[in-house]
Amino acid sequence: MSAGSALGSSLPLGGRLRQRLGDAARHWPVSTRVAAGVLAALVVVALLADVIAPLDDTAIDLDRVLEGPSAAHPMGTDEVGRDLLVRVLHGVRISLGIAVLAALGAVAVGVLVGVLAGTMGGRADAIVMRVTDVFASQNHLLFGILLLVLFRPALGGAGAVMLAIGLTHWPTLTRIVRGELMSLRERPFVAAAVGGGASRWRLARRHYLPHLLPAVGLAFVLTVPHAIFHESAYSFLGLGLPAHQASLGNILNDGQRSLLAGGWWIALFAGIAILAAAMTIGTIAEYWREHLHPRWRSELEL
Amino acid sequence: MSARLEVEDLSVGFRTRRGIVQALTQASVTVQPGELLLVVGESGSGKTVLAHALLRLLPRNVDVSGSVRLGDQDLLALSPAELRRTRGRRMALVPQSPASSLNPVRKLGGQLVEGARARGLSEAGARKRLRELLAELGLDLDVVGGRYVHQLSGGMQQRVVNAMALVGEPDIVIADEPTSGLDSDLVDTTAAQLREIVARGASLLVITHDLRLAARLGGRLALLYASRIVELGPTAAFFEAPAHPYGRELLRALPEREGKPIPGMSPQLTALPAHCAFADRCPDRFDRCSESVPELYPRPSGALARCFLHAER
Amino acid sequence: MLSAEAITKTYRAASGRVVAVDRASLVLERGARLGLVGPSGTGKSTLAQVLALLLAPDSGSVTIDGDRIGVWGVRCSRELRHRVQLVFQAPRMSVDPRLRLGDAILEPLAASGLLPGDAGERRALLGSWAAQVGLTADLLERFPHEVSEGQLQRACLARALVVRPRYLICDELSSMLDVSTQAALLETIAAVQREQALGVLLITHDRVLADTWCEATADVGELSVAGQRQDAPAAARERTSNFGRLRRRRTFRSV
Repeated sequence: MSAGSALGSSLPLGGRLRQRLGDAARHWPVSTRVAAGVLAALVVVALLADVIAPLDDTAIDLDRVLEGPSAAHPMGTDEVGRDLLVRVLHGVRISLGIAVLAALGAVAVGVLVGVLAGTMGGRADAIVMRVTDVFASQNHLLFGILLLVLFRPALGGAGAVMLAIGLTHWPTLTRIVRGELMSLRERPFVAAAVGGGASRWRLARRHYLPHLLPAVGLAFVLTVPHAIFHESAYSFLGLGLPAHQASLGNILNDGQRSLLAGGWWIALFAGIAILAAAMTIGTIAEYWREHLHPRWRSELEL
Repeated sequence: MSARLEVEDLSVGFRTRRGIVQALTQASVTVQPGELLLVVGESGSGKTVLAHALLRLLPRNVDVSGSVRLGDQDLLALSPAELRRTRGRRMALVPQSPASSLNPVRKLGGQLVEGARARGLSEAGARKRLRELLAELGLDLDVVGGRYVHQLSGGMQQRVVNAMALVGEPDIVIADEPTSGLDSDLVDTTAAQLREIVARGASLLVITHDLRLAARLGGRLALLYASRIVELGPTAAFFEAPAHPYGRELLRALPEREGKPIPGMSPQLTALPAHCAFADRCPDRFDRCSESVPELYPRPSGALARCFLHAER
Repeated sequence: MLSAEAITKTYRAASGRVVAVDRASLVLERGARLGLVGPSGTGKSTLAQVLALLLAPDSGSVTIDGDRIGVWGVRCSRELRHRVQLVFQAPRMSVDPRLRLGDAILEPLAASGLLPGDAGERRALLGSWAAQVGLTADLLERFPHEVSEGQLQRACLARALVVRPRYLICDELSSMLDVSTQAALLETIAAVQREQALGVLLITHDRVLADTWCEATADVGELSVAGQRQDAPAAARERTSNFGRLRRRRTFRSV
């Protein structure tokens, strides 16, 4: 999006965004619309979880241990009698929240390093990219576990999870940002802007940023499903959030134990929640990726 | 060997978000065996669409109507399998900018042989034919085959691509903007190479906006404006006395003539008027021009012009 | 007077060092029309970028109206950068695809803090330049992918002229366009030339165009601009006049 129009005739940024989304939404295929709807519902639920059904991790009711889905408890209860629906709702909030923050962290680090490499060039670029390669070549899960073990005492469960996800996912963003920057700098329109009197700052703000933003935004959105899976995995392994907290991974962990006792609903609903969150975001992001560039580079060959 | 190409009432429209882009409207032209036809117009006039329509290279969001017959085959009705047999063997394309239509990371020898084999030749047959063709164009297969595209000069690249087009002994060769990116020193050489193609018996359709190339090539010329053929006739006659005002004004814009631009701009293809598309910019317009679209009227020179000035009274 | 003395620029390529420009010198006066012809790959674009103060040469000097250029690119002062403007060959690559045409034309003013504060004045300024290059008002609202190459190049020309340069370098301005658009662009440049004594360097591979439109034409080989290709021509064709002067040097070829 251009940073304001010199013609002064365009809508304010928010209005233009809404108009563009509205225009775009008309062309979405069914899968994307369904995904958007489900995701919107999940987000609403996540934001209003406290209002809908306040969570009390200590609401143990040993009379109601491991009850299947019923009218009173649509998702059943867990092994200490807590209502599962409430826990899953809050789990969505916690997991989505952590995933988004972790993805933001990855983006922040990745963009910083990418801009450094892309603008400095030469030997500095080479060194930075080798360091990036080292991080990129690590197995996400194993490296993440190492980080969790090291930093959990200092940062707490949530903080350590965010750090682990952030430090394992930033190389992708670095590569994207660096690639875009290097190709941008070669383009004649950048030379034309320099000829017109633009300063480095103006180039970055007016020309580089609007081009980088969509790619970075997309990468961010694509990282969130990864983060959701990772958070679930770490919590499931007992290395993530504290066991009593209602994160989806923890619920899944509880569900594993309950399976042997016949309690299938815990693992099922937690799993569905994880899948729903990850797949809806992934579907929308895929559609976005396919239609991102053609909008700006297509013209009919006549 | 060579067959006649008959295009009748060919129309192509692209379905886009902004509406239907009418890229070509009721184009009709016949190319006799061994004939040279130039398709001239500015970018956006529909000339490239015409070439792509013949080769069935158009994207999926198009509406095509009309008929295209090569000999006794209806090209628009071919199945994918038949199409594959036709392309390269009965019809060949010499694409724009040869450097970008050849694989930059493979040596040329391998690509050329592979392309020839795709047209039905055996390995040995392909090599033999390529060697002959390249030799006629002044190149040695052994020397060229071991090189990469970027190691050849522009002129040599063009000759390689020409050879590729001829390897299947096609009935008709379509050359798309053969001088784009080439320096004007090479226009004469390019024209000579293209005429060689005709000399070998194939018909040649040349798409170009380069009027100087057109002048050197001769043959017949079809001038396109805003998706329609507005003039069709011998090239020499066109350059001497263009029948359509657009053609006349276009020639006046040449720097060696008057260098005078045509005022205004071509109409958008999404909003073509229901009357003569050139009327707004035409110095000779009169009332009838804003009422309906003219037909192609015959001229004494044998040319056809889509202009009411030449309509029967 | 825009003068370049012994400009040399080499690139490091995979095959070794390539000398793109070798000790090229030229002088462009205010109000003059100078043509530079030669095939592609002979360093014309590189020389154009050096003269437009966008690319620093390895050696040699550029002097504009008495001011010798010390730094190039973003570090060069805005006022100096505005004195020489460059119009590129491929209009689609030389506009930011995210900017509407109107915004793209006024962008140099916006970047330099020279944009009139009043919206009405801005519209008037844009309108006058658009009219001069032949763009209609509705086209100004469009994005580059919604207009033709010819219309884009008109916008690029307007963008170059909006900062009122003293010298204009056209690097293959119209090689991708039809003759009518080419004539229109050159007519606009000629008009501005009359009004502002604009010095124009027309770089083209079209010898006929250069010979008819320019007062003096030099072949690229004569400037001692070196080529990478073996078949670069060496035709010496030169007409000098009071307005354009080209110095002849020993021609050097690198392989």
